[in-house]
Amino acid sequence: MLKVGTDMQKFLNVKEMHRLLYGYNGFVIFTLMAFMCLTQERIYQAMTARAFLESAGAVPPASDVIFFTTTVAFVLFILVGYFYRKSQRRHVRYCLFAAEIIICMFLMRFLNLSYDGIVLLVVADLMYKYEGHRQEYTLLVAMICLYFIANYNMAIFQTKIISFEAYASYYNADAKAVILAIKNTFYSLNIVCFVFYLVLLVKNKHEEKERIRLLNEKLEEANQRLRAYAIEVEQMAETRERNRLAREIHDTLGHALTGIAAGLDACIMTLEIAPEVTKQQLNKIRDAAKKGITDVRRSVKKLRPDDLERLPFQQALMEMTRNYSESSGMEITFDIFSWSDNLRQDQEDVIYRVLQESITNAKRHGHATKVKITIGGNEKYLLIVIADNGEGCDEVKQGFGLKHMRERLELLHGTIHYWSDEGFIVEAMIPLNREVDNDKSFDS
Amino acid sequence: MRKKILAATCIAVIIFAMMYQARSQVTLTIGIFAGSNWNVPQGETYAIINEVRKNFEAENPGVRVKYVSGIKKEDYSEWLAEKFIAGSEPDVFFVLAEDFNLYASIGALMNLENLIAADESFSSDVYYTSALNFGKYENISYALPCESNLTFMFVNKTLLAKENIALPKNNWTWKDFSEICRKVTRDTDGDGIVDQFGCYDYSWQQAAISNGVKFFRDDGKTSYFADSRMEEAIKFLMELRGLNKGFEVSPKDFDVGRVAFRPFTFAHYRTYKPYPWKIKKYSSFEWDCVKMPAGSSGGNISAMDSLLVAISSRTRNKDLAWALLKKICYDKTTQQLILKKSQALPVRRDVITSVEAQEIFSWDSNETAAIATIDISSAMDEAIMPFKFKNYNSAMLYADTEIHKIITGIVPLNNALNKLQKEINAQLQH
Repeated sequence: MLKVGTDMQKFLNVKEMHRLLYGYNGFVIFTLMAFMCLTQERIYQAMTARAFLESAGAVPPASDVIFFTTTVAFVLFILVGYFYRKSQRRHVRYCLFAAEIIICMFLMRFLNLSYDGIVLLVVADLMYKYEGHRQEYTLLVAMICLYFIANYNMAIFQTKIISFEAYASYYNADAKAVILAIKNTFYSLNIVCFVFYLVLLVKNKHEEKERIRLLNEKLEEANQRLRAYAIEVEQMAETRERNRLAREIHDTLGHALTGIAAGLDACIMTLEIAPEVTKQQLNKIRDAAKKGITDVRRSVKKLRPDDLERLPFQQALMEMTRNYSESSGMEITFDIFSWSDNLRQDQEDVIYRVLQESITNAKRHGHATKVKITIGGNEKYLLIVIADNGEGCDEVKQGFGLKHMRERLELLHGTIHYWSDEGFIVEAMIPLNREVDNDKSFDS
Repeated sequence: MRKKILAATCIAVIIFAMMYQARSQVTLTIGIFAGSNWNVPQGETYAIINEVRKNFEAENPGVRVKYVSGIKKEDYSEWLAEKFIAGSEPDVFFVLAEDFNLYASIGALMNLENLIAADESFSSDVYYTSALNFGKYENISYALPCESNLTFMFVNKTLLAKENIALPKNNWTWKDFSEICRKVTRDTDGDGIVDQFGCYDYSWQQAAISNGVKFFRDDGKTSYFADSRMEEAIKFLMELRGLNKGFEVSPKDFDVGRVAFRPFTFAHYRTYKPYPWKIKKYSSFEWDCVKMPAGSSGGNISAMDSLLVAISSRTRNKDLAWALLKKICYDKTTQQLILKKSQALPVRRDVITSVEAQEIFSWDSNETAAIATIDISSAMDEAIMPFKFKNYNSAMLYADTEIHKIITGIVPLNNALNKLQKEINAQLQH
């Protein structure tokens, strides 16, 4: 916060310098104008008008006209400059800048081109607002153009211009030297101010960039912390899930199995003595086992993703990818060539998880922006290809995710292949209509 | 907010009303100097301009014409320059010949070409070419002539009669001129001092012009002083000077009637010929004027000076100013008035050739005035226009000094004119 504060202070300095530049130019213009007006008055009174006209080579406007036009033009110049700096819209800004140049030309004309420092004021305004990449070139071109305009101005008005020397020549040689020296000092001082202003401006812009860079660094740091936190949260969720699973198993399967084991113990005891009772008892045990199976089923159901429960499978897939795409900004497209309608629940689960894992990998490891999912096959097998445009990797390290995918697919006698091309590609194949080992499935 | 708008509207209305008021009563100013442009006494200085003013105001209701009176000719140049610097110069003003180039070059005068082209009631053909061109700068008209003046040779008729010499004809030549001068130049009272002379104030410029010399190229960048006709003119002047046997002629000699010839302008003739000036000056002898003597390669021609009138380029009433300018320089009534009241010549050809003009030019009906035989109109046609480019005055001043040295024999003629031409060209080209 402290740093931002000092930066603001420096920015204010540039503004102050800009104001100073305006103020100084106003002062110089007013002084030169007053000098010309007063000289004209003196010439008028000293009866040397004819000689002055001869050396001037043009008819000067009357003093009051000079005063009025110059003042009005300078006020206009300030206003246009102000609106130029304030304006947000580009076209308006261009128009205002053009107006500023025109007023600058007129102002120089009114001052008989004796002071072209005002051109620098225009450049200062241009620099103040301009924030492009090629700032230096723009400045250079603008300067050249403006000086060209100034000289062109001079060429147009050549015949109608009274040189400052003609005014200065009215006074004696000593006074003339002093007057010319003062005028040159005015000009030089203006250049010094201008250069100082530019230095401030460049420094200011540099500092601003530095500040932005620092802020970016902080942001990155915060991001990283957030990511770590997310991983932590994920792990906690996993632990919690595991505990829940353990509880579930303990409550349902453990309960049923304990009951069954106890019942069976009783049966062993009564088998010889009372086979009828044992038979009844075994029936009860079977019921308990069936109930256990139902409980387990219910538990497994609880573990399934919500979408899979709620929606038809294909829609659930769409929903999942759409959600992910929305949250991650990754573009996910589907190409479904063929589809098997009678997928078993376990097959659906595996497909769902494979897609979910692949998309997550594409984002997390490949930093992909686009993922294309293609699903096809025939009545014997289903083929799923997930291709992303991410970074890929030369040597695929089989992490937890890939390993799990492989394990899940192997349960269904499926296969998985993955490789890097233009991004990362995962290809999963699941055989259809094949009897799977019922032991490994809860399906009956 | 509404009040502010109301106030702004009121102010705007008042300003408009004031502007309208100002518009409805237009005032045009004329810049004019007192007295004659031709260095001769003039009685009713503002008679002509007052008449112009009266007529113009009658023709243009709501327009007032005013001028500042009492500005002497020698102060006029400075007065006008001061008015220009103060931004309050007259709309229409007389321009002295020496000021014309300055004002034309600094853009103070309105370019008349478009006005002339657009105005069907105006034709520049009525003017004599030399007079019209006098108001041009770099071939653009910036001013119109209002009156012109020609140079003639005054002849002391009494002196010639005394010496039994016939009055020269209007087509006389240098040969006739120098012969008469030779005859009259002598010591009349026998005190060994020559006290009767041939001519006074006959300048090398006048000699050169009547010998067909053109001093400068039109753009004023090159001079032609090394022309052989120039050399002839110089030699002729040296010859005339030789006749005086080293005695200098003074203006007093002419005034008391001891000089046969002296070049004078038409304005002088008009001023001193009739009453009352006739009594005041040159009363001891009868005089008349003839055309300038012709050089061997030229003719009986002289330079014609014109008084110019221009419009300020900053005038707010361009059309009215043009109308006023035309009233002064183009209007036939005004030109006839100039013929009657001014000592100089009007610039309109039809006024010069009118019957009234002929009567005025020869009002001494009892004597056979030589001027009556001069065809003024053709003299104005033949007359050459004086140069007036920017460095003309300084170049001419320099040339005058150098040529004076040649004529008085300080510098030998040999190659002097070539050298002079080179030096003047160098000056002109800088």
